[in-house]
Amino acid sequence: MPQIRTTYFGELDYADETIFHFPLGLPGFEQEHAFLFIQKPHTEPLLFLQSVNTPRLCFILLPILVLDPNYAVNLDADDVAALHLPPGRQPVIGGDILCAAIVRTGGGSDSEATANMMAPVVVNLKEQIGMQVIQTDSSYSYRHPIPSGKEVTPCS
Amino acid sequence: MLVMKRRAGESFTIGDDIEIEVLEVAGSRVKLGVVAPDSVAIIRKEARVTREENITAAQPVEPDALARLAQRLWTKQPY
Repeated sequence: MPQIRTTYFGELDYADETIFHFPLGLPGFEQEHAFLFIQKPHTEPLLFLQSVNTPRLCFILLPILVLDPNYAVNLDADDVAALHLPPGRQPVIGGDILCAAIVRTGGGSDSEATANMMAPVVVNLKEQIGMQVIQTDSSYSYRHPIPSGKEVTPCS
Repeated sequence: MLVMKRRAGESFTIGDDIEIEVLEVAGSRVKLGVVAPDSVAIIRKEARVTREENITAAQPVEPDALARLAQRLWTKQPY
């Protein structure tokens, strides 16, 4: 089984079929096309998007519904096609797609941690294809404050 | 901020070699055409913001900061 060096969890075994493909990379990281999702009990509900090729590249994500249970992602026809989703309907978060915001920590001070709800990472769970979708018409902030525990809705 | 009114088909220039033309106005959307040298990067504002936010977000976090972040998000299940 291949091994990967990770930013936060040392060396981990992984199976090739667990790799998620990001054909466009992410803005600023256009050359990064292969990622693994890592979830650990002690850091739930955080998700980690670890680059397969760059050990020091790992995005910290929060499932978008943890931040806002009513969040609706708006995918246009190009996004739907790029993600290989069935055309003609909006996909269901948690069913067809995973939708998560990238967390930005304020240089070590966690009180400044924010989440980019304007541009969530969206993944077709069946095809394992992902991209970051910029919500142009969204009223959501790219620095959405991360609430403290008591305000957070548990993620189903 | 400089403000000007332009109709579809009209344009304006920035400096000597950048021209921006209003191609179409439809409802709340405006279609613009930009003529600029290859050396000038043209990127939608939200894409630029996303790129900058990603680069900052990709900076590795110290383990204790990560633990604090997770702890802060940890929710006591209702009983």
